[in-house]
Amino acid sequence: MDQFIQALINGVMLGGFYGAMVLGFSVIWGVMGVINLAHGEFVMLGAYITWVLNKQYGWDPFQAIVVVFPIMFLFGYILQRILINRIVERPHLISLLVTFGLGIIFANIVKLIYTASPRVTESALGGFWPVGNVTFPVTKTYILITALIIMVALWIFLQNTRLGKSIRAAAQNKEAARIVGIEIKLVYAVTFGLCIGLTGIAGVLISPTQAIFPFMGAPLTLKAFAITAMSGLGSIPGALFGGIVLGLVEVFIGTYIPGVGTNLGIVSSFVILVAVLVTRPQGLFGGLKPATEVS
Amino acid sequence: MTRRLAELWLRYNLNRWGFIFIVLLLLALPLPQFIAPDAKLVSNSLLFSFTQMFMLVTLASNWNLTGGFTGYIDFGHAVFFGLGAYGTGVMMSQLGWPFWPSLFFGAVIAAIFAVLIGSATLRLKGPYFSIAMLGTFVAMREFIRVIKPITGGGRGLTLPPYLNRPLFYYLTLLLAVFVILMIARIRKTEFGASLIAIREDEVGAEMRGINTTLHKITAFWIAAFFTGLIGGMWAYQNTFIDPDVVFFESRTVELVMMTMLGGLGTVAGPVIGAATIYWLRDVVWANFLQYHLIVQGLLLILIVLFLPEGIMGTLGDKSGTTIGRIVNRWFRKPAEEAP
Repeated sequence: MDQFIQALINGVMLGGFYGAMVLGFSVIWGVMGVINLAHGEFVMLGAYITWVLNKQYGWDPFQAIVVVFPIMFLFGYILQRILINRIVERPHLISLLVTFGLGIIFANIVKLIYTASPRVTESALGGFWPVGNVTFPVTKTYILITALIIMVALWIFLQNTRLGKSIRAAAQNKEAARIVGIEIKLVYAVTFGLCIGLTGIAGVLISPTQAIFPFMGAPLTLKAFAITAMSGLGSIPGALFGGIVLGLVEVFIGTYIPGVGTNLGIVSSFVILVAVLVTRPQGLFGGLKPATEVS
Repeated sequence: MTRRLAELWLRYNLNRWGFIFIVLLLLALPLPQFIAPDAKLVSNSLLFSFTQMFMLVTLASNWNLTGGFTGYIDFGHAVFFGLGAYGTGVMMSQLGWPFWPSLFFGAVIAAIFAVLIGSATLRLKGPYFSIAMLGTFVAMREFIRVIKPITGGGRGLTLPPYLNRPLFYYLTLLLAVFVILMIARIRKTEFGASLIAIREDEVGAEMRGINTTLHKITAFWIAAFFTGLIGGMWAYQNTFIDPDVVFFESRTVELVMMTMLGGLGTVAGPVIGAATIYWLRDVVWANFLQYHLIVQGLLLILIVLFLPEGIMGTLGDKSGTTIGRIVNRWFRKPAEEAP
C-alpha cells in the first residue's frame, strides 16, 4: 500500500512537470498550426543554460529561471521572425521537416560544444520530507509548485491581457483576427517567443532530476505530442491532466514491472497516443480548438 | 530484333528517364569484373559505396510509395528496416538458419508488422500519422532493447561474417532495379492511380468507390517488405546489429530528404535524390565528420524552403517556385509548340 501511495506521489510530480513542458508545444500548435518537432531540443537548450549557470556561477537551478526565460524568449522571437514565419501557413509536411531539421542542428551543435557526456545540476533544495511511511522528494515538490505557477500565470495571461486575447483570437480564426486589426505576424512572433521561453523553463525544471545530454530531446517531443493530442491544443487543464496520466503510467510501469526501468515509458505514451487518436480525435478537453481541424 | 525493341519501347512508354536508366544499368552491370588487387579505378571500397547507394535508392523509392504517391508522410519508416535486420539477425545468429530463408523471414516480419500497425495508424490523418509512426519507431527500439533473451538487448547480435562484395553489389543492384521498375509499373496501373487519388482528395476517392484503407495498407506493406529485405542485407553485410545502429533516427530523415530533393511522388525523384545526397556525403562531408549532422539538418531546411518540388518538379514545366520559374525562363526556349 505504501508502495502504491509512493508511486502515486511520484507519478503526480512527474506529471506536473510534463504538464509544464507540454504548454509551449501545445500553444504553438494551437495558434500557428506548426508542430514543433524541435520541442525537446528547446527543453535541452534550457537545461544546458541552467547547467552552465550552475557549474560556472554557482546559481541554483531555480534561480536560473530568471535568466533562461528572457534568453529563450528572445531566441524564439528571432527564430520565428527569420524562419518559422515562412512556413506558418504552408502544408504540415513543411513545418514538420523544418522543425525536425532545427532539432538535429541544435542537438549536434550542443554536442560539439559540450560533448555527449551526461551532465547533472545540483540544487540546494535536495533531500526528502518523510510523511508517515512515504516520502516527498523536496526538489520534485518545488518543481511541481513551479509548474503549477507557470500554468496559472499562462492562463491569466491568455484570459485577461490584451495580447493574450489576440493570441486566442488568432488561434480561433486568422482571417477574422486580421480584419479586426490584430497584427498577426507580431502575435505569432510573441506566441513563439513565449512558448519557447516556457519550454526553456521546463528545461530548467528537468535539470535537477535527471542527467542532461544533447540527444535527450526526441522522447520529450514525442511525449509532448501524445499529451497534446490527448488533451486538445492549447488547453491548460488538459495539459496538466494529460501530463499526470502519462506520469502515473510511467511511474507505475517502472515500479511494478521490474527490470525494464522507465524505457517502456515511451512505449506506453505511444500506446496512449494511438488509443486516444483512434477513439477521441478531438482530445479529452476542448482547448483553443479541436485537434482534428488542423490540416 | 530492332522492331521488337521498338515495340517494347512503345509498350512501356519509355521516355528520356527510361533511356538514361537503361544506359546507367548497362554501365553498372560489369563493374565488379574490373576489380583487381591493385586496381586504381574500381576498388573494393568503391564497390561498397555503390552497394550503399543502391540500398538508399531502394529505401527512398519505397518510402516514396507511401510518402510521395499516397501522401502519407511516414516518419518512422526505418522501423521496417530495423525489423528486417533483426528478423534476419535473430534467425541467423540465435537459430543458425542460413542467409536466404532468414532474409525472407525478416522481410515477411516487416510486412506483417506493416499490415498490423498500418491498419491502426493509416486511419489517422496528416501529422497524426507522421508522429504515430515516429512513435512506433522509438517504441520499437525500446521494445527490442527490453526483450533481451531474443535480441540480445543493448549488447546487440553478431552475425556470421561473410565478405563477398560483388555478391552484395549484384544483390542490391538487382533489388534497386526491380523496385524502380515495379514502382514505374505501379504508377501506370489502376492501383497507382488510386494511390494518387487518395493523396489528392481522400474523401473524393472514397466516394468514387476506392477502398482507401485497403489501398493504403497494400502500398504500406509492399514498401515495408522491400525495406525489410534491405534491412536484412544491411545486417548481414555489417555483421553486427544493436538497437541504436539499426533504429537510427537520421535514417528516416535521410530518406525524406532524398525523396524531397529528387521530387515527391515521381519515379525518378528518389533515385536522383538518393544518388546526389549519397555522393555529396561520401565525398564532401567525409572530411568534416563532426559537422555532418549539422550540415544535414541545414540542407534539409534549405531543400524544404527553396526546393519544395524537388529536382524533378523544378525542372518540370509546371513548377510554381521561384527557382523553377528562373530555370524555365533561362534554360528553355520560350515557345515549344508541339508538332
